[in-house]
Amino acid sequence: MSIPNETLQAMIRSYHGFALTDDELELMRPELDNYLKEVEKLRALNLANVMSGRLLRAQEGEAL
Amino acid sequence: MADTALVTMTIAELAPKIKAKAISPVELTEAVLAQVARLQPVLNSFITVLHDQARRQAREQEAALMRGEYRGSLHGIPIGIKDNIATAGIRTTVGSKVFTDYVPEEDAYVVSRCKEAGAIMIGKENLEEFAAGSTSNNLHYGAVHNPWNVDYIPGGSSGGGGANVAACVTFASLGTDLGGSVRGPANFCGVVGLKQTYGRVSQRGLMVTSFNGDHIGPITRSVQDSALMLQAIAGYDPLDPSTVPVPVPDFSALLGQELRGVKMGIPSNYYFDIIDPEVETAVRQAIAALEALGVEAREVALPTMQYAGALRIAGMADSVVTHEPYLQTHRHDYGPTVLYRTLAGQFVLGRDYAKALQVQRLIKEDYARVLQDVDFLVTPAAPVAAWRIDTETVLLDGQAYPVRGPGAGITARCTSPSNATGLPAMSIPCGFTHAGLPIGLQLIGRPFEEARLFQVAHGYESVSPSRQRRPPLVTV
Repeated sequence: MSIPNETLQAMIRSYHGFALTDDELELMRPELDNYLKEVEKLRALNLANVMSGRLLRAQEGEAL
Repeated sequence: MADTALVTMTIAELAPKIKAKAISPVELTEAVLAQVARLQPVLNSFITVLHDQARRQAREQEAALMRGEYRGSLHGIPIGIKDNIATAGIRTTVGSKVFTDYVPEEDAYVVSRCKEAGAIMIGKENLEEFAAGSTSNNLHYGAVHNPWNVDYIPGGSSGGGGANVAACVTFASLGTDLGGSVRGPANFCGVVGLKQTYGRVSQRGLMVTSFNGDHIGPITRSVQDSALMLQAIAGYDPLDPSTVPVPVPDFSALLGQELRGVKMGIPSNYYFDIIDPEVETAVRQAIAALEALGVEAREVALPTMQYAGALRIAGMADSVVTHEPYLQTHRHDYGPTVLYRTLAGQFVLGRDYAKALQVQRLIKEDYARVLQDVDFLVTPAAPVAAWRIDTETVLLDGQAYPVRGPGAGITARCTSPSNATGLPAMSIPCGFTHAGLPIGLQLIGRPFEEARLFQVAHGYESVSPSRQRRPPLVTV
């Protein structure tokens, strides 16, 4: 998946109030590409039944 | 006692001598300030040196000693504070131009705790801009240099702290760790770095921090000192909802106890998949050394780590939200590596953020499962040792990985999972590359079982090839 520069520039302008040039977008691109690559890996992963919860099962409320 | 003999001691060695009034806090602080004067031009490890305040604190601590008011192991011990941890009345830049003149009104909780314990603040330490990276090559305040070879990075983002502790400029540093920023510099500088269990130490006063997984932790020259530092800063803080109200044990209680019967898990996937051969050799030798000490080894699988890259998605979104107030008004005060890396978080979809949190949950369950069968996990602290300051990419198994700015992340590959799981993890030295740069071992433990990690790390430390080794510039 690729996102057109115009879309990215419009979002930055709208949310942050400044413009980014095409060259600046290219500097950002490796981070964005990593994101899209990771999203692609998750496509086949069924996350519908993942339960929320806490890992840290420490006993709370004991005397400090 | 000669200055060199003083500054190369550990906190555990100094504390009884200070208590017995054999070493004075004033004498010790002067020795440290002389080391600062000699090495700051070489290492650039501080942004602000607190000469007058350190001398004043030293006199106060000495007076307290003379009144018989000994405050514990940190009494009279000079330490450094990373410059993204708030210090009342002292500018705290976060390594950024945005905060170049910012002076907090209150100390961070951990700073208050260290002051109450009698520690002396030597200075505010240099770091990566906004603590967002692993090189400590700071555009605004200059690059921090590795004491083992000043052409190399010290790691980051708490690079000033790692360099100072390794070079015997300070006895300990308080750093921060969102993806490995305490353990990384400790690893690259050949010292000990601890990221304790999430919730063990208050983050109050940690500036421009993330919503998810940031920690304040100590960098020290020994495992015993790490336990002493954690003892001083651990505990429930009613004003920080991330802290957990659990008792604070004696973190030194298991030090020196034999390791026979302790169970070690060696991950069969992820941690050794991308690794420099020299690093792998040193880590495998450390594993063998642990077995020789009586630790039982077994392989463990962490299948959900194939999705570990998704953890970065949540980090990207958290980061842009954290920076939003400053981006709008100070965009031109940002360096390019942080600016463009941060802005990319703008494009993370809510759907993907939610998925990333669910993956984080699955990964936590994986670790919880394997840690029912073993007492700790052993991994490399990073896939590579330190690289030259002017390096943009590192080559591993024929593939180039960026090490700065957008797309970077290889350095934190082994450390960042513990920020997502919240599990305690520490980096300890386990040898050197042929180029003479430190290599680090990482131990990961069960929640709130830092004492077990200290026991294992302390046992290994006594046989590590890094023991008693110091960078040559410490004494030259």
